[in-house]
Amino acid sequence: MITFSNVSLIYPQSTKTILEDLSFQIEEGEMVLVMGETGSGKSSLLRLINGLVPHHTGGILAGDISVDGISTRSVKPGSLAHLVGIVGQNPINGFVTDIVEEELAFSMEALNFAPDVMRKRVEEVLDLLSLSALRNRSIATLSGGEQQRLAIGAALVMHPKVLVLDEPTSALDPIAAEEVLSVLHRLVHDLSVTVIIAEHRLERVIQFVDRIIYIEGNGDTSIGTADEILKRSELVPPIVKLARALNLSEIGTSVREVRRQTEDVRSVEYSRPLSSPKNSSLAIEISHVSHSYTGKIALNDVSATINHGEIVAIMGRNGAGKSTLLHSIVGLHSPQSGEVKVNGTDPTTLKGAERRKSIGYVPQEPSDLLFASSVSEECALADRSNDLIPGTTASLLNRLVPDISANAHPNDLSEGQRLALVLSIVLSGNPEVLVLDEPTRGLDYRAKNLFAIALKEYATQFNRPVLLATHDVELVAELTDRVLFLAEGEIVADGTTLEVLLSSPAFAPQVAKVMSPKPWLTVSDVVHAIEASS
Amino acid sequence: MKKQLHPLTLWICSILLAIGVVVLDNAFIALAIVGAVAVLVYIRRDGSPWQRSFALSIRIGLTILAIRTIVGILIGVPIPGTKLFTLPILDLPSWMPGIRIGGVVTLERLSSSLHEGVIIATMIALFGAATSLTSPHKLLRVTPSFIYEVGITLVIATSLFPQLATSARRIRTAQKLRGFEKIELRSIAIPLLEESLSRSLQLAATMDARGYGISRKRSRYRPQPWLMRDNLVLLFALAMTITMVTR
Repeated sequence: MITFSNVSLIYPQSTKTILEDLSFQIEEGEMVLVMGETGSGKSSLLRLINGLVPHHTGGILAGDISVDGISTRSVKPGSLAHLVGIVGQNPINGFVTDIVEEELAFSMEALNFAPDVMRKRVEEVLDLLSLSALRNRSIATLSGGEQQRLAIGAALVMHPKVLVLDEPTSALDPIAAEEVLSVLHRLVHDLSVTVIIAEHRLERVIQFVDRIIYIEGNGDTSIGTADEILKRSELVPPIVKLARALNLSEIGTSVREVRRQTEDVRSVEYSRPLSSPKNSSLAIEISHVSHSYTGKIALNDVSATINHGEIVAIMGRNGAGKSTLLHSIVGLHSPQSGEVKVNGTDPTTLKGAERRKSIGYVPQEPSDLLFASSVSEECALADRSNDLIPGTTASLLNRLVPDISANAHPNDLSEGQRLALVLSIVLSGNPEVLVLDEPTRGLDYRAKNLFAIALKEYATQFNRPVLLATHDVELVAELTDRVLFLAEGEIVADGTTLEVLLSSPAFAPQVAKVMSPKPWLTVSDVVHAIEASS
Repeated sequence: MKKQLHPLTLWICSILLAIGVVVLDNAFIALAIVGAVAVLVYIRRDGSPWQRSFALSIRIGLTILAIRTIVGILIGVPIPGTKLFTLPILDLPSWMPGIRIGGVVTLERLSSSLHEGVIIATMIALFGAATSLTSPHKLLRVTPSFIYEVGITLVIATSLFPQLATSARRIRTAQKLRGFEKIELRSIAIPLLEESLSRSLQLAATMDARGYGISRKRSRYRPQPWLMRDNLVLLFALAMTITMVTR
């Protein structure tokens, strides 16, 4: 279906080739995962398939790419619209109309389809993706998962033979991600659509894919079955890490496979490690907070306390009230009823330097805080505004990511580097509380690991609380001590990470699913337990 | 579902009104039109993100009005009339003849500055109202395919307007939470510019990938018919403009 022969790609004004001498073939009805670190060229590879690269972005392409016998060199991306459907990273940025039905019809209208064909196909897709109930809704009011399904639907109405998706689940909660992936799975199996998908959270997609294209940092690219690639790759999901740690003979990609191989591990009784009770003192107190936006209740009588030195995750589905709760805690708005106290003060009264010292906040889009023209300037600015010795922020940043170039423009940094820069700017104010809103979107495993280490260090070294809203269960399992689970504006679970994650199958990390009913969340939990008993 | 006016009707109306306002050059009628439009926008609100562009355009208009008035008071030709107060005259070098900064401020000078500011602000408000009432996305659906390039430019340009408002608020919030109390133009403009640029590129890329502009002809999924009432509304607006122009 898709043939790459000796493809190399270089962007103008760049000295680094993105892809070098890449050759592979993808058959009809295959599901292929493209993986690699951030900035390795995954998106470029995907956009080569329908010719957006280089037709739309510029760049020099050597070699040839053909899709269903048509060379992308000779035609414009639009002429491949009936053959290749492409779904971008942020579907909301690619919607052209504002009503669900119209969005689905857009491509067909542009290509002058007959009205009766259009009606039929729109109905088909509405049914296939269970969007019928939403047909007249304004797109802006859809949830993240619904928007993602709509974007897939808008591509599917053209009956494409190839569907290309760039990180389709990165903004979704685990349940919505599951929905989207099962739709893709069905397309591959029932309609023989060829699906090519790029994703960082391998644990979500790995069980569905047939083959993997792995773009390594050094420019090498390998392609093979999941087992072949994962055996030696550096980026692996927790389930493969587990298999490596336990020296299993085969690497499984689904929970079922690994469960079969680890029966003997699970059958032994292990002594539970004694959890040392922390010397806790109150840091954040949330009492009976309610908040609503134009008639819609976002928070309903929420009460919780957060202690010093605790890392707490706020989880829940999209729209459960996580962001509203964070906003109340950082003092963006005073809640309509109830009150929030951060170290005894009302956060809405904080201003300027006092605010920087009390609450450090990392927003959902880290780049909102960046406006200088280079990394070093940004660091110097942070030093000045916090009256620090020049170089303090830069050295903090250097500890987080050692290989960052001081002259680089913040916009040219990778997602992980940018987050590290913002984190070090926020931490340079030495805040007593750290609050983060979905910090790990678009981060690869390596960047996520560095980030987790930095947060842990901050929490234990200074005995200060860290609060983060996130969908990333694997991060929560690795990092946090406690989880607040929100649903419909209410706290439905508040307990240790172990209790909360194990009690909900949808939010359980991979290792817990494999090792159930043993109380382990991460690979290191398993290894420690086995070491302790032998 | 309520039947809606054709998107083009609303845009043509606002353009006609803007022409009328400029030609008539009467600040009171201009203000009355802004008031009427504001009521219309309020009645037809549906919670879409485009809705905010009217409020934003009013704010931009007020800023321009303020700047125009201050500049009008400080610089400019003296207009004789009722004396309000006197500002000290700034001594300018001899190579800048004919310009005076400061001096006597008369009622006439103040009112003429205010007047011009109101006219400019009204035009911006009319444009904002049109964006508020019909999203540019809807407008794109009715542009004929042969002006493809113009259509794509138009959509991207006008989508920026409400998105800028949403993003600016988000960035401002993030920076306030960092403890930057002063609003610095640079600190908001740079992240904003970067974001809108990349968004526009993304939208253009998706439209390209989805076959926009490939076919010369374009079919309509559920055509938005040009109804009798569109004619009526347009006729009414045209009549109003003609009255304003020929008076």
